[in-house]
Amino acid sequence: MIVFKTFLKVLNKNKGIILLYTLILLIFAYFNMENGETTTNFYAEKTDIYILLEDENIGLTKNLVDYLKSVSLVKEIKEEKLEDALFYRDVSMIIKIPKNYRIDTLNGINREIEIQSTGDYTASLEKMLLEKYLRIQKIYLNEQLEETKVIEQINETLNKKVTVELTSTLDRSSLSKAKLYFNFSNYAILAGLVFVICLMLTIFKEEKIKKRTLVSSLNYKKYNRILFLSNGLFTIILWLLYVLLGFVLIGKTMLSYHGLFFMINSFIFSMCALSIALLIGNVSQNKEALSGIVNVVALGSSFLCGAFVPMEFLPKSVVKISHVLPSYWFIKNNDLISNLEQISLKEVHPIITNFAILIGFIIIFSIGTNLISKKKLKQS
Amino acid sequence: MFWHNFKYTLKNLLKNKPLIFWTFAFPLILGNLFFLAFQDIEKKEQLEIFNIAIVEKEKTDHTQILKNAYMTFSEGESELFHIEYVSQEKAEDLLSDKEIIGYVILSENPKVVVSKNGIEETILKTVTESIVEEISLATTIQKEKIIDGLSKPEFDGNIEFLKIQVQKEVEEILKNTTVSLKDNSPTNLSYTMVEFYTLIAMTCLYGGMLTMTSINNNLANMCSTGKRIAVAPTKKRNVIFSSVLASFLVQLLGLALLFIYTIFVLNVDYGNKIFFIFLLSILGSLAGVALGCIIATLLKTNENTKIGILLAVTMSGSFFSGMMGITMKYQIDKNIPIINYLNPANMITDGLYSLYYYQTNTKFYFNVISLLIFSALLIILSIEELRRQKYDSI
Repeated sequence: MIVFKTFLKVLNKNKGIILLYTLILLIFAYFNMENGETTTNFYAEKTDIYILLEDENIGLTKNLVDYLKSVSLVKEIKEEKLEDALFYRDVSMIIKIPKNYRIDTLNGINREIEIQSTGDYTASLEKMLLEKYLRIQKIYLNEQLEETKVIEQINETLNKKVTVELTSTLDRSSLSKAKLYFNFSNYAILAGLVFVICLMLTIFKEEKIKKRTLVSSLNYKKYNRILFLSNGLFTIILWLLYVLLGFVLIGKTMLSYHGLFFMINSFIFSMCALSIALLIGNVSQNKEALSGIVNVVALGSSFLCGAFVPMEFLPKSVVKISHVLPSYWFIKNNDLISNLEQISLKEVHPIITNFAILIGFIIIFSIGTNLISKKKLKQS
Repeated sequence: MFWHNFKYTLKNLLKNKPLIFWTFAFPLILGNLFFLAFQDIEKKEQLEIFNIAIVEKEKTDHTQILKNAYMTFSEGESELFHIEYVSQEKAEDLLSDKEIIGYVILSENPKVVVSKNGIEETILKTVTESIVEEISLATTIQKEKIIDGLSKPEFDGNIEFLKIQVQKEVEEILKNTTVSLKDNSPTNLSYTMVEFYTLIAMTCLYGGMLTMTSINNNLANMCSTGKRIAVAPTKKRNVIFSSVLASFLVQLLGLALLFIYTIFVLNVDYGNKIFFIFLLSILGSLAGVALGCIIATLLKTNENTKIGILLAVTMSGSFFSGMMGITMKYQIDKNIPIINYLNPANMITDGLYSLYYYQTNTKFYFNVISLLIFSALLIILSIEELRRQKYDSI
């Protein structure tokens, strides 16, 4: 009980750091919750654009603007902020309709629409849609039709719709929200847990305290066991806190089998983080170096394994290297779970395999910790 | 005395391992991580060729036209996807195995089947719609042309011949009508550069820790060295100034290391305005020094709390200037600009960003002046606080 009480005392002293990482997790989760409408139907992706209209908004010009409004998300931005909006991807394309565009086009003069784009895939989609419209307009204009007739024909042609069937009934939006949350928890768990547990260990292993414990009547094995169990209890409490936070932020999805898998995955990972913490705590006894080590471990694994930048955006070489880190398997599992269509052996098998790999990491780290602590005990 | 204190402050700072880690090594580690995580992100945001399948459920008049139309999107410069012609069962399997992003069932009204919402799925839908629209367009023009042809005096009564002629004519029109857009897109659009700019900003401000540590060593209420200095018959101005100068030098050393590493190892291209970049970074470091000074002098608390406050100010500054996601900088600039006008990390980041992206240097000079005002104000306040400090007992 003495060991556990001391543990709680030290924990209480360091509640600030746990709150800090929880706060970071909350802020991050909040920013990801912004575009979270529930959907199980197909909807076309729309590009964010800005229309710089220099022509009078009538006739052909108005029809073009209306078309753009129907296929894209037109944003209202101050003109002096346009350059920034493009750079920061607030809009993917700025479409400038020049002065006298309508009159000149009707008179057969070729007036080009001016675009500024980010060159990403949404901009490519917008360009495709714009070119399609302008081509149809040109064809009808070449047929010497009147303006109103041209507009009518364009709209009639563009009115042809195609049926799109969505095979999956998964609520992708909510699942990707959950995936993002648990992916980011990789950082929060690693940073929070490893920092606090290492700090505990360094405090308990301070030269004077360690010597006093060694000569006391307390059985050394029992002391170690209580320390381990206290750390384990702290791990479970922190994991529960993050899961509860998940329930608040993600909601209903957490009650489905997806939620259950997410919880199991994060639990195994928390245990893995505990084993990492115990290993680091045994290797390094330097309190000052601790925050450096923790930051390198937590930030490193989070950046390299896709907790901040999705794995599909990482270079192949980085993904290959990240296979040696437990975070990779945790994040990969989050991805698999978010795509889980049904509970079948075929779909669940890779998830279970990744669980096993994570447990393998726990075993390796635990063996490492034991070997090091044995060596250190002999030395002392 | 000046050089004596200068020398020993330098020695002290360079021997302080945690301090050197945070000011020298940590920015390099973070730079490496940024490089590894972001090096491909912009390339991968461009459209890549994807796989689709086509299922011929029933043969109609349009089947071949539709197939040809899809072919135009699977070859040449404007290639969007690879096509596989398969049975419906096979297409379903391919879709569930994620081998294709969707398939099209060819019929009178083609149907697109996809497994999720997404940009590639939307492109498949848009292409299919374009093809259907093209057929409708052709039919409309053909109709108009046939009606026209019938009313012409040279019409010889052979409707079939007229139809074939019109069809050929329309095919020619569709083939030859192209449109072009005037693309004025800026070239410097790499937003990962901003991540490196925030890193420079963070390093500049982290340098404040060096100044703070060296000033703390001279304060009587902080340590015994400070007490001894307080009673020593020497000008405090010289002691403080030499300490600050030494820490500024160490800070510039750290910054130089970051530049050398990012330019020569990570191959970060800072463009051709490198002189302006260095100038802004030196001013940024000055702002870091000023921040360190003010926290060291104004706050009467222990060293750990001072470090905590400096870290909190630096990290929040970096956060608002876009370090943890550049959208944050944009949102703050757009909605609460006052925060970033007062944020030294943003003055540095924004100055570097304006050099990289804007054609004019107005915004750069604005940030330079902001940094100068910020540093001057904080240094004056610190001097006022440090002047004539006396203790009856301590």
